[in-house]
Amino acid sequence: MDVFASLFMFWLVDMAHFDCMHITESCSDLHSNPLGGNTAAYLLLIKYWRRYRSCLAVDEMGETSSVENEFDDWFIESLKIYNNIHEYQLEHPTRVIEWTSEKTICVAGYSSDKNEILELLLPLKLFADDNQGLCAERDFKVVHGGFSDGSIHCLKHIPGTRYIIVAIDYVTSVCCHELSSSNCCFLLRCVVTNDGFNSNLQVWDLGGDDCDVIKRTGVLQRKSASSDKGVKIAPGLTGGPCVLHGSQISDIQLTELASGKPLYSLGKDIPDVLSSLQFVSDSVFLACACNGDLYVVDTRKPSALQNNPVGGREGVNWCMGVKTDLYSSDPSSCSVARLSSACQVVVSDLRDLRAPLCQAQLHVQRKTTSDDFMKVTWAPALDNCLAVSGFDGMVHIYDTASWRPELMEFQPLFIHRGHMMSDNEFDTSSAVVTTHVWHPSRPRTVLSAAVDGSVHVWDWVDKATASC
Amino acid sequence: MPEIKVTPLGAGQDVGRSCILVSIGGKNIMLDCGMHMGFNDDRRFPDFSYITQQGRLTEFLDCVIISHFHLDHCGALPYMSEMVGYDGPIYMTHPTKAICPILLEDFRKITVDKKGETNFFTSQMIKDCMKKVVPLNLHQTVQVDDELEIKAYYAGHVLGAAMVQIKVGSESVVYTGDYNMTPDRHLGAAWIDKCRPDILISESTYATTIRDSKRCRERDFLKKVHETVERGGKVLIPVFALGRAQELCILLETFWERMNMKAPIYFSTGLTEKANHYYKLFITWTNQKIRKTFVQRNMFEFKHIKAFDRSYADNPGPMVVFATPGMLHAGQSLQIFKKWAGNEKNMIIMPGYCVQGTIGHKILNGQKKLEMENRQTLEVKLQVEYMSFSAHADAKGIMQLIRMAEPRNMLLVHGEAKKMEFLKDKIEQEFTINCFMPANGETTTVITNPSVPVDISLNLLKREMALGGPLPDPKKPRTMHGTLIMKENSLRLVSPEQALKELGLNEHQLRFTCRVQLQDPHSDPDTLSRIYTHLKSVLKGYTIQHLPDGTVMVESIVIKVSSSAEEPNTKVLLLSWSYQDEDLGSFLSTLLKKGLPSGLSSM
Repeated sequence: MDVFASLFMFWLVDMAHFDCMHITESCSDLHSNPLGGNTAAYLLLIKYWRRYRSCLAVDEMGETSSVENEFDDWFIESLKIYNNIHEYQLEHPTRVIEWTSEKTICVAGYSSDKNEILELLLPLKLFADDNQGLCAERDFKVVHGGFSDGSIHCLKHIPGTRYIIVAIDYVTSVCCHELSSSNCCFLLRCVVTNDGFNSNLQVWDLGGDDCDVIKRTGVLQRKSASSDKGVKIAPGLTGGPCVLHGSQISDIQLTELASGKPLYSLGKDIPDVLSSLQFVSDSVFLACACNGDLYVVDTRKPSALQNNPVGGREGVNWCMGVKTDLYSSDPSSCSVARLSSACQVVVSDLRDLRAPLCQAQLHVQRKTTSDDFMKVTWAPALDNCLAVSGFDGMVHIYDTASWRPELMEFQPLFIHRGHMMSDNEFDTSSAVVTTHVWHPSRPRTVLSAAVDGSVHVWDWVDKATASC
Repeated sequence: MPEIKVTPLGAGQDVGRSCILVSIGGKNIMLDCGMHMGFNDDRRFPDFSYITQQGRLTEFLDCVIISHFHLDHCGALPYMSEMVGYDGPIYMTHPTKAICPILLEDFRKITVDKKGETNFFTSQMIKDCMKKVVPLNLHQTVQVDDELEIKAYYAGHVLGAAMVQIKVGSESVVYTGDYNMTPDRHLGAAWIDKCRPDILISESTYATTIRDSKRCRERDFLKKVHETVERGGKVLIPVFALGRAQELCILLETFWERMNMKAPIYFSTGLTEKANHYYKLFITWTNQKIRKTFVQRNMFEFKHIKAFDRSYADNPGPMVVFATPGMLHAGQSLQIFKKWAGNEKNMIIMPGYCVQGTIGHKILNGQKKLEMENRQTLEVKLQVEYMSFSAHADAKGIMQLIRMAEPRNMLLVHGEAKKMEFLKDKIEQEFTINCFMPANGETTTVITNPSVPVDISLNLLKREMALGGPLPDPKKPRTMHGTLIMKENSLRLVSPEQALKELGLNEHQLRFTCRVQLQDPHSDPDTLSRIYTHLKSVLKGYTIQHLPDGTVMVESIVIKVSSSAEEPNTKVLLLSWSYQDEDLGSFLSTLLKKGLPSGLSSM
């Protein structure tokens, strides 16, 4: 840190010779050249620079700086464009937000050493529909918390239970945590050992309702793993608690949580790295490979495997978002959106995954070179809408109803800029959204998190209904 | 072992009526003396009978410290000092001293005049109690007596809120009261230096929460006010004269300026002057921005906010009115409320807590019909909004404060223990310190390791330095030899010679002798020569002498050789050394026990 601080001091002295215009230019330079990839140093520098800049602005204008004005503008605008917005600051950033019940979510840290898993109760104000005005409670409550040694990059809740499953980066085994004895919660975790890839599954216990600590209770084995990419996980939809996991198409396996017994394994020699995994019915799941290939697998028919390449589109990395309707067996009710690192979205459904129903080139300016946080999700309670994040500090909402089978550029329905407008000293112009989720039943409520540890809960104003 | 005892009388695992007893270095201190706002019976005040069953508290307490003017921290003060009986000093900051009696009097009026309670403290008692108060300045060390000293740090939260450090000798405790780690529109963030107290006692009301940002709270407030004004409604904001009212005024003023709003904003008569008076008086307690701009423009003199006249309430069109008191139990705020309650276009925003029995409490519970005096009923049609602007530290803030102060032990009061297991684990893991959460009346005892200062003589240091090279190396601790003299309450480490001289003693000689048997087929003088050669080659850098009287000397160690006539090859070596050369002496005896190497010449 000290080295960078002193480096920065030199740089500051340098900067002092330029006028204001120069400084602004250097700023944009700085943003496009992140110090040879040393993000920490880059962020630190930016942070110091912004502090310096705001000092400068105050000195020269006597009053408020332009940075502050930008924040104020957004603040005033937010009065009009959001019904509700809540901004929270976690101690450590999260890249997972997972619903564990109607009113609780799980978040977890992804730093390289020690991390926390927190189960948070959403503010009561969000749920007080009739007399929202009388409810002053607008804070998150930490209801359960636990400690994990590794970086958590994937966390899933198993519907109908209190189990959650967690995958930890650079790991090949899977472990299981229990949140509380009456309401269980499992975390899937992976650990690398010196002798190659030793895989196991750990079980954690949170204790009863009288205790708020998550503790580990056991280990499950994960068979083989050959990739150092993180394990992807998906909960089984029905039957006993089970979990689908894999890091490549070839090593996808369904494991029963209670016994650790494998229920199904794909066993096909396809070494493509897995990017997303999701069940669409009791026995059928979709697996999206990083190259954009989409596999439809029926666990009852091990030989049945259908490959659907994305076909001639740009983008090195792909991920998918699936919208399922469990009560409908109509294959057209299951929409799949595939998002590429080149900011293209291809929408198809289960009837034919090869031919796109519609597609779009998104209007996004990438601020990050990493594809780590790419995410696309369908709104569960809003027809044809999907949310995209991971390229910059914003969450974009698109309405696919107007999209066409030909690739065209489309403007978003709504943009959430809040993560770039935070008032703490962390540099917000370099903020990147790490993840987002939709509220399961409120049509326009979204939760999003960013690299600075901010978590926002927001509910935007629909212009169509607002105008009438 | 010396120990510090902490007993919460009111705040442990509970919310409201803060009162904590601390015993440190033989001194007893009471931290805060609060009242529980939700009770009307004995549970309202802390249980002072814990201190003594009968009689006054004066002889049991060395001092009382009040952290800030909120009633859950100072509400029981007149009861404790005047009704139970305490005549010792009560410490609080200047702003707290100024504001506390106003709030106490306000509260007394509600309880006695409105609710008709007897057995409550009187106005005179509040005055008498305030006479015992000694004011505190920030960062100023105050000697309570010869041994006990206290020091106040800025806590944010409300005007005049302080954290206090209590110190007896090398032992210390820091009590936070309520504090806020994020600056707001008129106050700064809490700050403390790395004072490494033995115990940090922190409030933890919001320890298990992650707080919504200030900005979103303000946004909601503005949105509500704006919407009402736009539709032509009137907004009533009942406030306490001091507290968050100033913050909300600054916020509205800024918003009006920016949005070019025309609707008038009023502040109840008397209130502005009173509040401004305090803020001007205590400008050093506000945040940097307000202090900085104070020279050019007083942030508490508003362009859009004007003094209210009771006739304005009937004016047509939208308006915003700040009026006292905050709980709608009497006065101007209640009068305006009665006038506006029937119109659904209007709105009332309650920015704080309301005591049971007040109109404020009733409407916050959703009551739509209110019984007023003369058996009249008032229908509440206007929109009721409840907003909390209290500035407390959340889990992250507590961690920040621990990082700042680096305590050796942590103690959490004001919260529910079973909900705080995770926080306790987190503190213990991250800082490797103990974390306690005592219940009311439960005592936490912490053993302290007070440091004992010892003076060391310069000569001794110089001598040690000369022995071990020029520069001390912090990674390699060295033992040094000296004599410790304990005299007249002081400890000194000096060289043995100086100690002898000072104490007028003669040095005693202590010698060790030891016999070593050796098989060596040479004459005695030859064996001695061989030993001399051997030692010369092994012990480089030592003074080794072969003396003409038939002895070998290594430093102070004397070696002689003898043998009996019967067994001329069995040599008996006699070694003798002084106590000072014990290390070398035992090394030599061990070395010689191994025998002499065969290839040695006898010179």
